[in-house]
Amino acid sequence: MVENELAVLREIRRIVSQELEWEGEVEPTHHLLKDLQLDSMGLTVLAVELENHFRIRLSAEDSVGVNTVGDLMRLVATRAAGEPRAAAGGAP
Amino acid sequence: MKGPALPALKHATVNEALAAAARTPRGLVFVDTSERETHLPWAQVYGRARRFAAGLRRLGVAPGERVALVLPTSPGFMDAFFGALLAGAVPVPLYPPVRLGRLEEYHRSTARMLEVSAAAVVLTDAKVRLLLGESVAAARPRLGCHTVEEVAREEGDLAERVSPGSLALIQFSSGSTVDPKPVGLRQGQLMAQLAALEAELPPPVDRTPVGVSWLPLYHDMGLIGCLLSAVYYPGGMVLIPPEVFLARPALWLRALSRHRGFVSPAPNFAYGLCLKRVKDADLEGVDLSGWTHALNGAEPVSVETLRLFSERFSRWGFQPGALRPVYGLSEATLAVTFPPAGRGPRALGVDARVLATERRVVDGSREVVSVGRPVPGFEVRVRDELGHVLEERRVGRVFARGPSVMAEYVGHPEATARALDAEGWLDTGDLGFEAEGELFLTGRAKDLVIIRGANHAPQEFEECLEAVEGLRTGCAVALGFTPEGENDEALLLLAEHAPGAEVEGLEERIREAVLAGTGVKAHTVRVVEPGTLPRTSSGKLRRSEALRRYLAEELTAPKKVGTVGLVVEMAKSALAFARSGRDG
Repeated sequence: MVENELAVLREIRRIVSQELEWEGEVEPTHHLLKDLQLDSMGLTVLAVELENHFRIRLSAEDSVGVNTVGDLMRLVATRAAGEPRAAAGGAP
Repeated sequence: MKGPALPALKHATVNEALAAAARTPRGLVFVDTSERETHLPWAQVYGRARRFAAGLRRLGVAPGERVALVLPTSPGFMDAFFGALLAGAVPVPLYPPVRLGRLEEYHRSTARMLEVSAAAVVLTDAKVRLLLGESVAAARPRLGCHTVEEVAREEGDLAERVSPGSLALIQFSSGSTVDPKPVGLRQGQLMAQLAALEAELPPPVDRTPVGVSWLPLYHDMGLIGCLLSAVYYPGGMVLIPPEVFLARPALWLRALSRHRGFVSPAPNFAYGLCLKRVKDADLEGVDLSGWTHALNGAEPVSVETLRLFSERFSRWGFQPGALRPVYGLSEATLAVTFPPAGRGPRALGVDARVLATERRVVDGSREVVSVGRPVPGFEVRVRDELGHVLEERRVGRVFARGPSVMAEYVGHPEATARALDAEGWLDTGDLGFEAEGELFLTGRAKDLVIIRGANHAPQEFEECLEAVEGLRTGCAVALGFTPEGENDEALLLLAEHAPGAEVEGLEERIREAVLAGTGVKAHTVRVVEPGTLPRTSSGKLRRSEALRRYLAEELTAPKKVGTVGLVVEMAKSALAFARSGRDG
């Protein structure tokens, strides 16, 4: 895992624990819906907060292939590095 | 119950009201996530809309045609919305896709709403357009899909004359894949609602009237209650995109303070969200004393949330008297009842059990909040199943009549006939009672689940369960209820397991399927024995009766039946499934 991915993971952990009141663990293998039980509001808050923090834009299209914390982490890290979208779920 | 007389209308149409607002220095302010503000005076809104209207005409949009808008809260929305009106066309605002949202479900519902509203063209922005391909391909609007920039590119000027009888807006009572009903509203109906709202929300006289809203513009409370109200006063309106509010609720309160907003409505959950997520540090220097109308509507109102909100935010000047639980529905354009200004919430303690079992009000510990009396021009009646008007403190169906009640569900004469009678009474589908001259809501007879102010058809949740193994096909109901000790409406699922199925792990699978399919988390899932849920004689599930029995703790498994009974049960189940498939 490269450094900017770790920064994204830290921010995802902060958002789900502080803003979304999730008390469990948050690991890259965790599924956003099944494990973290994020509903549509939770996903929106997560997306908007990540956008603010990393100064990027996410869209509905980004939902394709993003199932786990790891998928989201890689997507945001790629965007923050200013690269076009990586293949769904693929590491940069 | 009857409201006061409707004041004389200031303008006959939205188009005239906008032209008048454009002669004032007031206008819109857009707030982004970093709290940067973009000002757009009404004069500019009007000028841009005239140019846009000409663009629509050039494109081939004729007066009376429907123009679907899939746009975020932005200046582009204003161009398209007011541009469509000035072209004499009918705007149909639809919800844009959400970030990380479920695209498949989005495409299905958008295509369905485009079809049902018979949209001639879809207007969007460059980013959303890339995503809309599938929905547009399925609905095939006559003039295709265009971005706001494309339509506004060339010079032009058009302001079509429209009459109070012209169709002015189509809004959906619940955005959904199943049976979305397009509410058709005429210019005159919008104006009557705006006049009633102004009478209930007298703008301050010592300063420019400014409202603040984070509500989506494809929702009646945001579009009519906020945006069009501001055109009507005329006043200023500060708009925050809904997703920005969800992520940073403090921005709402800060905008109210910065602009000294006198009015801002929101569903109950938003007040709860502020309690949970706004930190004291976010409110440095904030002054909420100018917020004189904190309207709470679009979903059931919790007395507890109101109390906690007043307590917490009084430190920043919030006035408890500002809280006004209000009632309305898109079929009435928006508002039906409002409590008196400045009084604060009034609640009655009722016995929840007697209410559910006997439909009458006796003193008890469950607090039900008053939503007030009819707004100007409106009448409200509570009737029993046979249509007789009920005396005070008897629970029945709420009917409303007034100058802004819709004329029809566009293109749905059967649904219209079910909702409206010959004398113009609208069956709201809500349950409630009258006491001390005010209306109290207790539940819903119509099939509807309201989550965070958004209306969902129960079928949206129920169809997610069809693929869940171990459930009896077509034998589950989705219901909205306010759980004991909580303040917001939540999702309840009652599902019958298949005869002889392993029940272990079933609840979990139901929760997963619904969350993945709809983005809504179920609060309570109850797996029950086959035959437990109440049905009509033809085998159709009776949702509101299921909820009544659940709340009254009367939901019990049927007596064991022999082989013949079982065969009958299975036939009923198959029939119910066939029907639910057809109705959907």
